Amino acid sequence: MGSRASTLLRDEEIEEIKKETGFSHSQITRLYSRFTSLDKGENGTLSDACRCLTDELFVVEHARTAILQPTREDFQRIPELAINPLGDRIINAFFPEGEDQVNFRGFMRTLAHFRPIEDNEKSKDQNGPEPLNSRSNKLHFAFRLYDLDKDDKISRDELLQVLRMMVGVNISDEQLGSIADRTIQEADQDGDCAISFAEFVKVLEKVDVEQKMSIRFLH
Amino acid sequence: MKKSDGKKEGEGRERGKKASSKDEKESENKEKKTNTKGKEEENKQKKGRKNSASSNSSNSSDEESLSEEELAMLMEEVEQKKKLISTMRNKPWRMIKKLSVLREAQAFVEKFEGALGKGKGKKLYAYKMMMAKKWVKFKRDFDNFKTQCIPWEMKIKEVESHFGSSVASYFIFLRWMYGVNLVLFGLIFGLVIIPEVLMGMPYGSMPRKTVPRAEQATAMDFSVLWDFEGYIKYSALFYGYYNNQRTIGWLKYRLPMAYFMVGISVFGYSLMVVIRSMARNANESTADGDDDNFVFSWKMFTSWDYLIGNPETADNKFASITTSFKESIVDEQESNKDENIHLRRFLRVLANVLIICCLCGSGYLIYFVVKRSQTFSKMQNAGWYERNEVEIVMSLLGMFCPPLFETIATLENYHPRIGLKWQLGRIFALFLGNLYTFLLALMDDVNEKVRAEVITPHLFTLCSNSFFLPHCCQASSYPREGLCWVLEVEIVRLTVSDILVTFVTILVGDFIRACFVRFMNYCWCWDLEAGFPSYAEFDISGNVLGLVFNQGMIWMGSFYAPGLVGINVLRLLTSMYFQCWAVMSSNVPHARVFKASKSNNFYMGLLLLILFLSLLPVAYTIMSLPPSFDCGPFSGKKRMYDVIQETIELDFPLFVAKIFGYVANPGLIIPAILLMVLAIYYLNAVSEAYQRANAELKKKMQLQREEEKNKRNNKASTNSMMQDLEDLLAPSTKSESSPKQAEDKKTDSPSQASPAGKQEKAEALNSSPITAGRRAAFIPPPHVMVTRPLTPGTWTPYPQLRQPWPGGRPMGPFPGRGRGQPRYVHPV
Repeated sequence: MGSRASTLLRDEEIEEIKKETGFSHSQITRLYSRFTSLDKGENGTLSDACRCLTDELFVVEHARTAILQPTREDFQRIPELAINPLGDRIINAFFPEGEDQVNFRGFMRTLAHFRPIEDNEKSKDQNGPEPLNSRSNKLHFAFRLYDLDKDDKISRDELLQVLRMMVGVNISDEQLGSIADRTIQEADQDGDCAISFAEFVKVLEKVDVEQKMSIRFLH
Repeated sequence: MKKSDGKKEGEGRERGKKASSKDEKESENKEKKTNTKGKEEENKQKKGRKNSASSNSSNSSDEESLSEEELAMLMEEVEQKKKLISTMRNKPWRMIKKLSVLREAQAFVEKFEGALGKGKGKKLYAYKMMMAKKWVKFKRDFDNFKTQCIPWEMKIKEVESHFGSSVASYFIFLRWMYGVNLVLFGLIFGLVIIPEVLMGMPYGSMPRKTVPRAEQATAMDFSVLWDFEGYIKYSALFYGYYNNQRTIGWLKYRLPMAYFMVGISVFGYSLMVVIRSMARNANESTADGDDDNFVFSWKMFTSWDYLIGNPETADNKFASITTSFKESIVDEQESNKDENIHLRRFLRVLANVLIICCLCGSGYLIYFVVKRSQTFSKMQNAGWYERNEVEIVMSLLGMFCPPLFETIATLENYHPRIGLKWQLGRIFALFLGNLYTFLLALMDDVNEKVRAEVITPHLFTLCSNSFFLPHCCQASSYPREGLCWVLEVEIVRLTVSDILVTFVTILVGDFIRACFVRFMNYCWCWDLEAGFPSYAEFDISGNVLGLVFNQGMIWMGSFYAPGLVGINVLRLLTSMYFQCWAVMSSNVPHARVFKASKSNNFYMGLLLLILFLSLLPVAYTIMSLPPSFDCGPFSGKKRMYDVIQETIELDFPLFVAKIFGYVANPGLIIPAILLMVLAIYYLNAVSEAYQRANAELKKKMQLQREEEKNKRNNKASTNSMMQDLEDLLAPSTKSESSPKQAEDKKTDSPSQASPAGKQEKAEALNSSPITAGRRAAFIPPPHVMVTRPLTPGTWTPYPQLRQPWPGGRPMGPFPGRGRGQPRYVHPV
């Protein structure tokens, strides 16, 4: 239950996550239980054991960081991600550079991009660091899904890869190429034959990103 | 839990103390934090309330404890706010800030005090929260329910995702037609057939309601019933069964009157609904957005729905993304076609000439054949071919002309969407032309001998006959025993055979073919799938025309055979399922999937034409032919519309009859028609003017957007450069250039975006007025605009403040600095 999950998490950790991501306390505990249920891979037995031993805080303290780290395969078992043409990209977004596992902090940081923007947050001025769920951060998250080589530009090749994922073999390569060219031609403003982040933002100017890239988390 | 509570409380108190400290920045930050927190808390509170309200949820105990914890926190927040309100006076803030903070705090307290108060307030609050939640949920469920109520939405979407919107447009049309027919069905059944069955004279009471003795023996055989003879023929489904009793049953239901009015209102409703939906479609097509800017980018970046979790839905989504890309490719190819305009024009003219030749040829052929058939009919020993020559020729024309047209249409090289319209129009012209030449030829010959009643069944015959496979109907050779049932039975029979032919065509032409291609491909000498027979494509034009002609037949027949609409409803229902299945199972998408036009007004236009054409014969029979004397609700009257006069005379007070008499006077009707024509003219002119204004506005908006785009581009690329230049140039140049001029300059050079930056710089250095103008445009002059009137001569934007903030800073304290703070001069 939530209370059990919250004992797995230290309170100061929750506080930190709360500050960083803006999730509420109950959301964090809920997501934590979701996070633990994700971890069904080879670590599964261990994490089960850990769940049995929740009373013994000592074990938990040590097990927490070591064990509850779902791998990519765990994520791929989520049906929404498994059938999503960009599923792999999204899963990658959860994992820090070059690592195969993700801890709860990282997990929450990624999820925070999808937190809906609440009314009172809009009026807030930009004094502190920008919240992770701001429009530009949401867009940047989306942008990184397409920008594979992380050079802050979506090149033609990257577009082609995405296209191939989305339409499969139903459209000839030549036509795919022309689609990619056309897309770049539409979006490109500085003539470097690639889509920079600024151009990406421009393209999606009229799209209601705040609303579309939001998931209703249970409170 | 306990621990965390204590911790938070401590933190909160600490914050509370801080709030009253002098550190302004801190306090402001904190305020924000507590605010956001408060809102969050509020959400949590809602959740907690809701769960406690629905105590059957499994984890309610957990929620309860959570809400307890939050309740405490909330209480504390409220206390804090109250304290803030009471100490507001002492705060060293500016008045505006004080006011806003005060208001916020008061609102907060007001909102949550009720929640935390004892007894009634708390309950009321909980109740209100619960109701709000419930209401939101109800609204969402209701929306879902509404979408689920649209019939066949899923089916059509599935077809659309695989075959594109053009094929789906046919199914949407079919669905719409089904709706219209359902209404007609309700009208006719509710007001005519059911009263007759319930209250009319029972079967066997009159000759017209009894099966003749000679047929009695076989009247229940299936083969007889299948031909709509026997018991079916003598039933309330047909005009002839009704009798001319003025009122029936204990309700004194005026059946002949109702029959007449329903017959009229079927046409009235159909006309109204067709025209209304045309108007609505026209509205929609003009209202559609201006989102032509980033078609591909949007498709690329936003097409996938990330919440799809069902593999089947995902497949559909894949297909629909692919299809939409294909559609866009076709549109794109069409718009970028580099064309030899003269050749194109020549080919188009040629194609039209060829098609007109075809139409004339087929018309002449029919005329010739009809003439010849007259001579054949005089011969005694005419063979099968001679007897059926007309039907055969017309069927062959109907079969071979459309493909021929399609072949010719490839010359024109239209966009497939426009091509489809041409194709539809041409086939339509072909059939109507054939029909009318046939009628003319027939009229020519049998002018005196045959009354128009006999011609009408021919018309029905040809409607379907010329269009579909030959289903040799012997309308001309049908024995004319009594005039009553000939017409209606013929129409119904035609409709049914038409339905069967359609379904068999689909079954054989699509399904069997697909099976053959699919399974014989393993043991065949060439590739069946890619080569000759291959799979069938969905024939949009054929199907749409089939639907339209069928509907025409229904409209024409519904007056004489009230049961016909029921049959049609069944037909549309089955054909919806059957065709959906056939399309998904045995057709392949078109080679060039194209996007249908958003409004299917073209289909509607055809439908309207057919409606008008089918209205003509019915109106003719109603207005100028005497009804049969031995059957039907109007038997014994001179004209059918006499029933209205009769009702008015007998059932209304005298003055109504008098008024009616005046109104029916041609002296009044002709001016009324004139007035209507004038009104139409006026409304037309007005709508045209609106349209023009609309187009103008659209253009203006487009221009404005482009201008803004350019402005932004220029700003982004040249701003830093302009700043440099500003330092270089003497401020005196500025006064020479008015902002107006600057505006002009800026709009003059929209295309000089970033790549030309360097060049621009050089240019700018050469000619200072332009630069100045440009700068003037780039500097947003907020305070100048506000504080003093803009006079071109004296416009000098504070040269002494210019250096670090090109736009100037607003006067007054820095944001976030209170009055209590000593005001110091900023270090610049």
